[in-house]
Amino acid sequence: MFGGIIAEFGTRYLISIVVVTLQVSLAAVSISTLVSVVLAGVLGFGDFRGKGVLVSVINTGMGFPSVVVGLVVLLLLSNAGPVGGGFDLGLPGVGVLYSFGGVELLYTPTAMVVSQVVLATPVITSVTLSAIESVDPSIRDAAFAAGGTARDVQIAVVREARYGLVTAVLAGFGRAVSEVGSVLIVGGNIAIATGGGARVSFTRTLTTAITLEARQGNYGTGIALGVVLLTIALAVNGLGNVVRDRGRA
Amino acid sequence: MIEADAVGFGYDDDRVLRNVSLRATPGETFALIGPSGTGKTTLLRLLALFEPPDAGTVRAAGTDAWSLSNGRRVATRRRIGMVFQNRSLFSTSVAHNAGYGLAVRRSWPDRARRWLRGLVGRPPLEESVADALETVGLREAAHRPARSLSAGEAQRVAFARALATEPDVLLLDEPTSNLDPRNTALIEEAVAAARERDIAVVVATHDMQQARRIADRVGVMLDGTLIEQGPTETVFGDPDDERARKFIDGELVY
Repeated sequence: MFGGIIAEFGTRYLISIVVVTLQVSLAAVSISTLVSVVLAGVLGFGDFRGKGVLVSVINTGMGFPSVVVGLVVLLLLSNAGPVGGGFDLGLPGVGVLYSFGGVELLYTPTAMVVSQVVLATPVITSVTLSAIESVDPSIRDAAFAAGGTARDVQIAVVREARYGLVTAVLAGFGRAVSEVGSVLIVGGNIAIATGGGARVSFTRTLTTAITLEARQGNYGTGIALGVVLLTIALAVNGLGNVVRDRGRA
Repeated sequence: MIEADAVGFGYDDDRVLRNVSLRATPGETFALIGPSGTGKTTLLRLLALFEPPDAGTVRAAGTDAWSLSNGRRVATRRRIGMVFQNRSLFSTSVAHNAGYGLAVRRSWPDRARRWLRGLVGRPPLEESVADALETVGLREAAHRPARSLSAGEAQRVAFARALATEPDVLLLDEPTSNLDPRNTALIEEAVAAARERDIAVVVATHDMQQARRIADRVGVMLDGTLIEQGPTETVFGDPDDERARKFIDGELVY
């Protein structure tokens, strides 16, 4: 099944695609998890004006079309349009991240991480929030009555919600690793030639590689890459389930 | 150590408590009896400083607990233990549950150190936790997951959690309402043990036989008011209040 792609570009090419895919998605999910736990904590324990609106926005964010997110991130990261200028919309904020510390971000794995963070954060926040909210109130009472401060009560509730948090991270990873629209737009699906016809992925992920192979009519190769993607998704979910089950035992 | 003085709670048209005064005395068990929904749980929550009363004062060591700074009120709360009617254990081990009260009293660096040590091996059971689990007959179950316990065992662990912090006051809200006779007996023995340790125990119960068995003093609550209180024998034998007598005799149906 992998014969076509390996024969054409070598094992190194396939491995580099897998590595870029995992690097980008794991980095994005790690950042999203940190942001989401804080956000879900503020929403789960706080009481402030506009909380309902914020929750609605986050829930809506779970369904953000990834191409739209990609386009917005592209506009944020590009100074004067995608290639060669002439695309200045004059919008405030557009282009603010074009260069960060002198490093251009567009068409880099960093840009892909940014777009995946935008996509994964609402998913992880929403599932974490619902896990926190579904913790029985008796847990708050028990922690308080045992002498816990407000902080201790919050920690106790989050600890009770830990299996939900694992589910949230898995859902976020699933969203990040399987999306194609935004990484294609902000990453550019770039593979670098290394000489002698060999190539390695720079911003090519499994999903964008599948798109490319399908477009070129290499369906066998596309399916082979799809199998790799599914295997990764299954392995990560399996690992998540092991963590959950061991915690519950 | 803790007392309610003319305490009231609730909304204008729905008063849960009216003018309730009660004192928990060291080494004495006070049983709060009355039908369900009469305000016993609310009163215990006020005594545990969950929230301030709308009227009257809750005093700890003679001082209005709600006039204290937040830090001093937390310190006051930590002299009080409470056990709830419903299952209220964390989904961790029995030892962690029983030791939770001690854990929250430690400094953050100490907690972090113990947490890290817990990642590489099972920490030894602290003496007061082991002692509290022994009191409720669950010393051997220390390393079992709390989720594997029966309702009775879970309630005994909740009792041990309150006992392990060596409180001055123990508040028990219907602690045996869902338990079989053996677990009920074990909880009652633990109440007697707490009393022996000079702890002031206040137990809300609708089981009048239990109140007779374990209490030194009894208060009868009806419609948010403590209509009668006094030594157990007096309240059960010759109550002053006619409604209290009817409730005790089973003539007052709620």
